[in-house]
Amino acid sequence: MESISSGQANQDALYRDALAQYGPSLERLASAYEADPEKRRDLSQDIHFQLWRSFLRYDARCSLRTWTYRVAHHVAASHVIRERRVFSTLVGLEELELLTDKGQGQIAADQRINLNRLSALIQRLKPLDRQVIISYLEDMDAASISEITGLSPVNVAMRIHRIKTVLAKGFHEGGSHAG
Amino acid sequence: MRGDFPGDDPKTIWRSQSIEASTLTLEQIRQKARELHSKTRRELLRTLAGPLMVAFCYVFCIKEFPALQKVLHPLFAFALVWSLAGVYFLNRGKWSGPMPGDTGFSAGVEFCRREIERRRDHFRRILLWWFGPVLMAISAIILGLVAVAGKEVFTKGMPFLTLVVVWIAGYFFVVRVRQQRDFRREIDALNAIEKENSR
Repeated sequence: MESISSGQANQDALYRDALAQYGPSLERLASAYEADPEKRRDLSQDIHFQLWRSFLRYDARCSLRTWTYRVAHHVAASHVIRERRVFSTLVGLEELELLTDKGQGQIAADQRINLNRLSALIQRLKPLDRQVIISYLEDMDAASISEITGLSPVNVAMRIHRIKTVLAKGFHEGGSHAG
Repeated sequence: MRGDFPGDDPKTIWRSQSIEASTLTLEQIRQKARELHSKTRRELLRTLAGPLMVAFCYVFCIKEFPALQKVLHPLFAFALVWSLAGVYFLNRGKWSGPMPGDTGFSAGVEFCRREIERRRDHFRRILLWWFGPVLMAISAIILGLVAVAGKEVFTKGMPFLTLVVVWIAGYFFVVRVRQQRDFRREIDALNAIEKENSR
C-alpha cells in the first residue's frame, strides 16, 4: 500500500514538474493540432491526463522534456488520426508547397495575422511533420527533435529546412499579394 | 531565416501567442481517470447494436414469414452467433492497444505507424464483425420478401431495396475501400521513413 502511494506521489510530482516547465508549450502544441477552440480544450485536457498517467511508467531513461513532448505529441497525433479519418485532408510538404503557390489573402503585417497564418499552415501538415516543426519552434535542436520523433538528426534537419522554406514562401505569397 | 518572415522570425511569432493555461487540477485528472472507465462501459454497450439489429430482423422475419422458419432459424442463429462473437472481438481489439500515455518509450514515427495500423485494423474488424452479420440479417429480410411476395416485391419494395443497395455501395465500396487505401499509403510512407532512418 505504501509503495502504491509513494508511486502515486512520485507520479504527481513528475506531472507537476513537467507542467511547471512545459505547461505553456503544451498549450501551444494543442493549438497546432486543433483549430476548433472547444475541441482544443478537450485535446489539451487529454494531453494532461495522459501525461499524468504516463508518469507511472517513467524511469528516467530519457529526459523529462523528451518524455513530456513524446506523450503530448502521441496524444495529439492520435487525435488527428481519429478525427481526420481520410488522410487526404492532410497534405505532405510537396502538396503544401503547391498550395502556398496559390496563396491568397492580406499582407501579414500584424503579428496576430502572422500567427494565424503560421498556425493554419502547421495545421495542414501530417502529424510527423507537425512534430518536427512544433519542436523546432519550441527552440529544440535537431538531436532533441530526433529523440522525440524517432527520425535521424539528418532527416530532422532536412525536414526543418523544407518546412521552413514552405512556411516562408507562404508568408511571402501573402505579402506580395497585398502589396 | 529570420529575414524571410515579415516582422519576427517564426519562433518569435509562435511563442508570442496568448495561451490559456490549463486549469486542470490533479483531482480533476483523477476524476477523468474514473470517467474513462465509464466511457469504456458505454463503448462496450454501443457494440451491442449489431446483435440487437440482427435480433430485431430475426423477430421481424419470423413474424412476417412463418412459412420460411426452417430456413430462417439456422440462418439467424448463425448471424446472431457471428454478431455476438463480434462484440467480443471488436472490444478486444479496441482495448488491447496501448493508450498514448503508455507509449512514452516510443518515438513519433513508430507511434504514428502503430496508431494508423490500429485504426486500419479497427475498421477491418467493424466490417467483418459488425457489418457482416447485419448485412446478412438484412439480406434475409429481402429474401423473405422475395420468397413470399414473388416478383411483386420488386416493384413495391423498390425504394427500400434501392436504399439498401446505395447504402452498401456507398458505405462499403466507396468509403471503406478509400479509407483502407489511405491507411495503406500512410503506413507505406512511415515505413519508408523508418527504413531511411536505419540506413
